[in-house]
Amino acid sequence: MNPLLSGLFNQRNQNGHALGPIQKIDVPMRRYGEEEVDYVVVGVGSAGGVLLQRLSRAGFRVLGMEAGPFWNTERDWVSDEAGSHNLYWEDLRITGGEHPLALGANNSGRGVGGGSVHWAAFAPRLHPSDFRIYSQDGVGVDWPISYQELKPYYEQLEMEMPVAGPAWYPWGDPHGYPYGPHPMGGVGNALIKGCTALGIGVSIGGPVAILSGSHGDRQHCIYRGFCIQACKVGAKASTLITHVPDALENGAEIRDNCMVGRIHLNRENRVTGVSYFDAQGNEHFQKAKAVIVSGYAIESPRLLLNSACPGHENGLANSSDAVGRYLMAQAGNVILGRFEQLVRMYKAPPAHCMTEDFYETDPKRDFARGFAIQTVAPLPIAFAKQMMMAKGAWGWGLRRVMMDYNHWASFGLLGEILPWPENRVQLAAEKDRFGLPVAKVTFTLRDNDKKLIEFGKKKVMDVMSAAGAEEVVQESRYAHLVGACRMGSDPRTSVVDKFCRTHDIANLFVCDGSVLPTQGSANPGLTIQALAARTADYLISQGDAVFNSGRRDMTAPPIRRELAPPGTYGRGIPRLTSSSQ
Amino acid sequence: MTQPEKRKQPGYYPGFSTLSQQHSWDEATRRTVLQRMTHTREIRFFTSQEIPIITAVFDHVLPQSDRDPQYRIPIVPMVDERLYTNRIDGYRYEEMPPDQEAYRLGIAAIDEMARSIHDAPFVELAPLRQDELLRTLHDAKPQAAHSTWERMPVHRFWMLLVQDAAQVYYAHPYAWDEIGFGGPAYPRAYMRLERGEAEPWEVKEQRYEWQAPADSVSDRYELVGGHDEHRATPGQGGTH
Ligand SMILES: Cc1cc2nc3c(=O)[nH]c(=O)nc-3n(C[C@H](O)[C@H](O)[C@H](O)COP(=O)(O)OP(=O)(O)OC[C@H]3O[C@@H](n4cnc5c(N)ncnc54)[C@H](O)[C@@H]3O)c2cc1C
Ligand code: SF4
Repeated sequence: MNPLLSGLFNQRNQNGHALGPIQKIDVPMRRYGEEEVDYVVVGVGSAGGVLLQRLSRAGFRVLGMEAGPFWNTERDWVSDEAGSHNLYWEDLRITGGEHPLALGANNSGRGVGGGSVHWAAFAPRLHPSDFRIYSQDGVGVDWPISYQELKPYYEQLEMEMPVAGPAWYPWGDPHGYPYGPHPMGGVGNALIKGCTALGIGVSIGGPVAILSGSHGDRQHCIYRGFCIQACKVGAKASTLITHVPDALENGAEIRDNCMVGRIHLNRENRVTGVSYFDAQGNEHFQKAKAVIVSGYAIESPRLLLNSACPGHENGLANSSDAVGRYLMAQAGNVILGRFEQLVRMYKAPPAHCMTEDFYETDPKRDFARGFAIQTVAPLPIAFAKQMMMAKGAWGWGLRRVMMDYNHWASFGLLGEILPWPENRVQLAAEKDRFGLPVAKVTFTLRDNDKKLIEFGKKKVMDVMSAAGAEEVVQESRYAHLVGACRMGSDPRTSVVDKFCRTHDIANLFVCDGSVLPTQGSANPGLTIQALAARTADYLISQGDAVFNSGRRDMTAPPIRRELAPPGTYGRGIPRLTSSSQ
Repeated sequence: MTQPEKRKQPGYYPGFSTLSQQHSWDEATRRTVLQRMTHTREIRFFTSQEIPIITAVFDHVLPQSDRDPQYRIPIVPMVDERLYTNRIDGYRYEEMPPDQEAYRLGIAAIDEMARSIHDAPFVELAPLRQDELLRTLHDAKPQAAHSTWERMPVHRFWMLLVQDAAQVYYAHPYAWDEIGFGGPAYPRAYMRLERGEAEPWEVKEQRYEWQAPADSVSDRYELVGGHDEHRATPGQGGTH
């Protein structure tokens, strides 16, 4: 059998491919072989999963290429910290700059579902102000779209995941959540106590893309706390279980364990397809009428840079020299507090309580923009590493503080770091096992970033003390890489337009976290999926024009709610409509 | 030398056993955890000269002399496996060599430090001397082997050691029992989420005082490399 046709196909014929304990894929997957397809989507992660679902439902022939495996959740996932390392992008990357980022488990996923498999699933929206921070605060850059343009897609994806949270969420554009808030764990109780003591507002039980009640063939959360190790229960949303099943149902193909190495271009400046390496390391060419790169803020720019060719010597779609630049990470300091009483923070999902009281620019502070504070809950290995950083623990000191694991609670700072051209992804001299140059990531904080982090971390430490912690320590950390192929109206300073089409090549798109021009202080996952759904609506509205014309139509089509996976829209889920229309 | 009392299970949760709950774990998880406990692969990465040194190093980085010998958690074989199969964390600091080379360089440098400061190989030093020597790596103030530490930032090598040790130790059910972590919980779930309450099968905390051996210097807390901002390194584990 052709190696491309084995794997998943066989497993499924044996006993059904499990996506959680209840949901199974039973239909055989469509296989395009070497036939030309309409769209190749490179990377089936947060954005890629949504794109595949929408485009296939609208009748396009779509093929998702995924470097990692197509998980069978019952067979491949475990309730175990050390046993979950294969969820992450573990291949080599080089990290540098004055404040080098930790990558791997700290940042990106691999396998169908991508980062949505191991995210904590906090799902707040960006605020309206995030789309115009240059106009408002004179920093960063404005988006080419407004909050109002993205809002219908936020509402839509909140139902498709769906997101649990309070009926009234007061920050940004106030709104409510379709599923009820979650019960508190020990860390959430500490955050409530600390915030309340200091007069800070707090959102209890979400917003988080975890089921508080069962939904279709997915069961509700069992509060086992292994979200970052992938939710075997099927309660936490990942595109693997929310969108991929519907995509396959509608004729999409996913080719797993296939690493795309290059995008090909013809003399008419149009993309013709991609070459990729299969699980055995053999190289193949796949023809496509258009290509969408959805490989994450490191791998997407890496692929464009690795696809340099005559006429595009600096990489595809890089006439602006912006590919790889303006890479951002959020300040993700972890603040840890030791309490006299037991906390047992491993119970309940790490993400269950947060505040955005400090989100907006405050003229009384000496920096622009702001931050959020969220519950986090490291399991023992992550906690041991934090104690190494935050207290300098090793030897007997490490053994001692670890024996107190159950007395600690931890909060995460989530602060906005601004986009800087020098923070970037480039190609390193080292090559991966396919002979492709690996990514080199350079990251350095600037003045505004440092001031924000200093202020933010002190504030979170105050909240921890106010919650009753007798000892408070912290480690620096950065989370959520985005940017590096940013969207904008000006082709001289951005890579894609507001519909994620590259300025330089009419049938090449980038759609994932790398298109974010700025990041706010909201975890990016919901925004990434909302942008993917919006991009899909645009592509569908353009029909064949994407494949055979160079015309760039800049009119936004109306949202197509009927393209949502079945049972996620218009099924009587109560919602509050916000007042700030 | 005074030693903490040897126990089958140190920690404040006497009799707690995550393994006793394995009937409530899913099959894949049970297999993964049990395989880890019976891991007995021969050493394939470290050389016969390196094995005694790295073993002595990990005996200090993550000491276990308070555990009954049959309840100790083997560190070296698991780190060896990782290095031999080249399982990396997905990145490397630009000023660091690959992990394998870092270990070879670091082990040689530790031995060189012992010889140049104490005129004896590392493994022959008294435990206190060994602990003190390693503490200079933690403080990023090594007193010898400067040519190596110029090639490889000492604080990064130190963190590699501590992380590797912690990653192995706290992946083991004996360590979960020691710290009172409930362990795998699918499909059963946790039901008592608040006030630090224990599930019926978990154990109430019973604290006791203990002292680290007198011939050790690792039981006090100071940041890696002191408060030098340039040594600041971001957290390594994903949280949010
Ligand atoms: C521990 C942790 C917790 C997090 N918690 C949250 C949270 O609570 N809320 C939140 O909003 N976000 C969270 N995030 C961030 C979130 O996971 C990411 O922002 C998001 O998944 C990025 O989406 P993406 O579509 O850009 O890329 P991904 O989801 O990473 O998808 C990219 C996919 O492309 C594949 N790929 C890449 N290159 C190639 C190639 N050349 N060929 C084939 N396939 C390729 C990859 O294997 C991957 O599957 C968390 C991240 C981590 C690490
Ligand atoms: S805590 Fe809930 S959402 Fe998280 S892994 Fe467990 S069941 Fe899934």
